[in-house]
Amino acid sequence: MGLPNASGDLSSEMEVDAFRRLFPLRFHERHLVESIRPDARPVGRARETTLALGAVASADGSALAKIGSTTMLAAIKMEVMTPSMESPDEGCIAIEFHMPPICSPIVRPGRPAEAAPVVSKQLSDTILSSGMINLKELSLVSGKVAWMAYLDIYCLDADGALFDAALLSAVAAFSHLKIPVVSLNDDGRVVVVSEEQEGGKLENEPVNKEKRKLTLSSIPFSLTCILHKNYILADPTAEEESIMETLVTVVLDSSGQLVSLYKPGGPVLAYSSAVQDCVALTRHRVKELQKILNEAMSDMEVD
Amino acid sequence: MEYVSPEGLRLDGRRPMEMRQIRAEIGAVAKADGSAVFEMGNTKVIAAVYGPREVQNRSQQLSDQALVRCEYSMANFSTGDRMRRPKGDRRSTEISLVIRQTMEACILTHLMPRSQIDIFLQVLQADGGTRSACINAATLALADAGIPMRDLVTSCSAGYLNSTPLLDLNYVEDSAGGPDVTVGILPKLDKVTLLQMDAKLPMDIFENVMQLAMEGCKAVANYIREVLLENTKTLEYRRGV
Repeated sequence: MGLPNASGDLSSEMEVDAFRRLFPLRFHERHLVESIRPDARPVGRARETTLALGAVASADGSALAKIGSTTMLAAIKMEVMTPSMESPDEGCIAIEFHMPPICSPIVRPGRPAEAAPVVSKQLSDTILSSGMINLKELSLVSGKVAWMAYLDIYCLDADGALFDAALLSAVAAFSHLKIPVVSLNDDGRVVVVSEEQEGGKLENEPVNKEKRKLTLSSIPFSLTCILHKNYILADPTAEEESIMETLVTVVLDSSGQLVSLYKPGGPVLAYSSAVQDCVALTRHRVKELQKILNEAMSDMEVD
Repeated sequence: MEYVSPEGLRLDGRRPMEMRQIRAEIGAVAKADGSAVFEMGNTKVIAAVYGPREVQNRSQQLSDQALVRCEYSMANFSTGDRMRRPKGDRRSTEISLVIRQTMEACILTHLMPRSQIDIFLQVLQADGGTRSACINAATLALADAGIPMRDLVTSCSAGYLNSTPLLDLNYVEDSAGGPDVTVGILPKLDKVTLLQMDAKLPMDIFENVMQLAMEGCKAVANYIREVLLENTKTLEYRRGV
């Protein structure tokens, strides 16, 4: 830091906003010394989280998740396909994460954000490896027809902790998903049975009787923390992420098992005790998120 | 196929001169300088405005006015079947150009030289009239960002099916193959800034249909003014005025 005296003198006279822009690190450290953050949260607490299921009426399953200002919209569309030779009785899931230019001033049209493919790959790996979804449930007729679930997640507002919000919205969309009723017509092609036909006579027997939901085992939840000197900040905002670059993301499932741990380098070298503290914070957060997800689902059922 | 029943009701139960329900919300994207969500029936669009800010590509900088850029993209799940190429295809590029030119005409660009104003539009649900919903959302977002404009720009579409002029077509009516007239106006100045039509239509019927669309635009303008007034009252209240 160039001239500590100069900034020290200026800091007593300058306005708070100017100090925040010119000396962001000192601004945040001043708060951390008091164990608090600029938005008045204690160091270990996440921002207010809300979840709304069924946000997109035209999709088979959808959810809108907000953590603070970070907003993610996830929607699942089901299509039929022929399963591969190696796994004839399994369906398939394709996960894509998009950061359109509306979400942040640093995303330029024509050049995708750096974070987008990273979060996309992380999400894909986490969801597929957590075993949340049994691919055999996505099969229709073994060896011939199976479901392909396309999950698209759009970031509508990027204010830090993108992976957490994206994972939450993906999980919520899967729990909201209702598989459409289909029947095989004479050509052997699969046709979606629309609502009007369900009441009347059906020419062909539907392959699956009713709109069913997937059974989800071991739902993964995550928490991203920032390590800075000897502080651990849970659920960073975009401002905090840009100043203090060391991120640790821990993914636990609902039974408390570790699904994934991600620390992509960063200037702070952490002792294993710091990582264990992150895991403890995540454990606490998983309980909160579980409650929020259950409340959202019971709200849907009441409707 | 019958789009207007003998009793005069359309497929979704509306009368021929009735618009779909509109809903608007300002400030949906916290990170943007100005943003708005605009819904016309089942069509839902988010607009975000970033600017005036520094021009990202120095070679495109204009020394006497602001550079206006616009990008229109549709979410993969916005239409009935999942879309493969949500942007960069011909339709999205054409709509981006049309909206950019429409908004550029009413922004007072000479007040902000050497800067750039970005308008980003994301369609979340598409059920006909996405172009109009995008223009209306962009107007609200520009107003939220405090960018000086000559007037609001509002837009609405109208068509002609079963010998009846219909206001605010939805997707089914739009794909019926009849004419589709999209009009964008500056309501206070009563000037037309956008006018697009496809399919054949006799001149006198065209005048009727265009007049109907302009009435629709004025109705949208009244609603947008109410929303902006509410928003200003909330801001005043927060400031303690």
